[in-house]
Amino acid sequence: MATERQIEANRRNAVKSTGPRSSAGKRRTRRNSYRHGLSVGAAGRPEQVERLARKIAGAGADAMVLEQARAIAQAQLDLTQIRRMRASLIQRMAEFGVLDTPDPLGTFRDIKRILKSIDRGLPWDLSVPPAPSMPSSEPDRTAEAVRRALPELLKLDRYERSAAARRDRAARLIVARRTR
Amino acid sequence: MTKAGQVSSALIPPSPLLLTESKDEFNLIRDNLNDQIKPRGIIEQMYVEDIAYLVWEILRLRRNKAAIINSAFRDALTEVVTQLLRNPGERNYQLKGNSEKLAREWFSDPDVKKQIAGLLREFNLDETAIEAEAFRKSADDLERIDRLMASSEARRDKALVCIAQYRGDFGALLRERSDRLVDGKVLKLEHAGSKERKPAA
Repeated sequence: MATERQIEANRRNAVKSTGPRSSAGKRRTRRNSYRHGLSVGAAGRPEQVERLARKIAGAGADAMVLEQARAIAQAQLDLTQIRRMRASLIQRMAEFGVLDTPDPLGTFRDIKRILKSIDRGLPWDLSVPPAPSMPSSEPDRTAEAVRRALPELLKLDRYERSAAARRDRAARLIVARRTR
Repeated sequence: MTKAGQVSSALIPPSPLLLTESKDEFNLIRDNLNDQIKPRGIIEQMYVEDIAYLVWEILRLRRNKAAIINSAFRDALTEVVTQLLRNPGERNYQLKGNSEKLAREWFSDPDVKKQIAGLLREFNLDETAIEAEAFRKSADDLERIDRLMASSEARRDKALVCIAQYRGDFGALLRERSDRLVDGKVLKLEHAGSKERKPAA
């Protein structure tokens, strides 16, 4: 456990470090804890969830039914969000041919390799290789985009299944509650 | 759509489509489902929207599957033609230019198509060999697409079952409540009738 002196020192140091100052640094750290946003889901839109839940529960619903209605609303909005992400991924893949732009200085190993080349006076290159070409016409372009995005689409499918299962469970519980 | 349906569609966000996809075609599928299922209440409407999206997704994946096999076909053709043309001791790169040219022309030149068919026959093969090679080349992608399709189909079927269950259970509940009401009325009527009949008796 930290001593009083250490805690005090930590506080002093924390005041000195106020995070990145440059706009590039701020941009980099802005999404540090953000991965895909799917786990946040409809929880980030409480008013929409509440409105939909009240409509599902109907007038005069008891607290238990309303709670299950909230679960249905949340899951339904999650489903829409996942589907929007799916469409957006395919669209982006169709536009650019890749989802991740390769960064020649993306890893510590890359930086080390370039620095080594500079040290040895060897030629080095920071240019990014072009993305593999995409078919120019439809429906081949979309099909190729879907093909390249398949690993991501399979991941999204897992989220979609789990959201649908949550909604179905809550719908069953509502009926069970009402038929009691 | 009914007024209630309009309220619900304002609450349930529309299914997102790709820019290249037709909203009208999607709406046609959803309208057909609405006609057949006739959703009652917002939960059933949610399920119908879901089923429409899943049907759309299955159609999209089927289209993509066919396009993926087609696009693998040219590479497969080059591969098979290279194999057919290669003499002992020859390297693939020595034949690549010629094979690619023949593979390109196969789609437009009937003579080239005949020439390749003749080559295939020499080795007791036919065009199925090219299709099989196209399938082999895209097998991993096709397997993934099949997994996505199976998942969408399972969820579509589950959504249909959920509507039936919801409707069944909820229908049973409504029937029970309406029966109670009717029973209550009947009791009252009988009561009233017996009251009326009493003096007569």
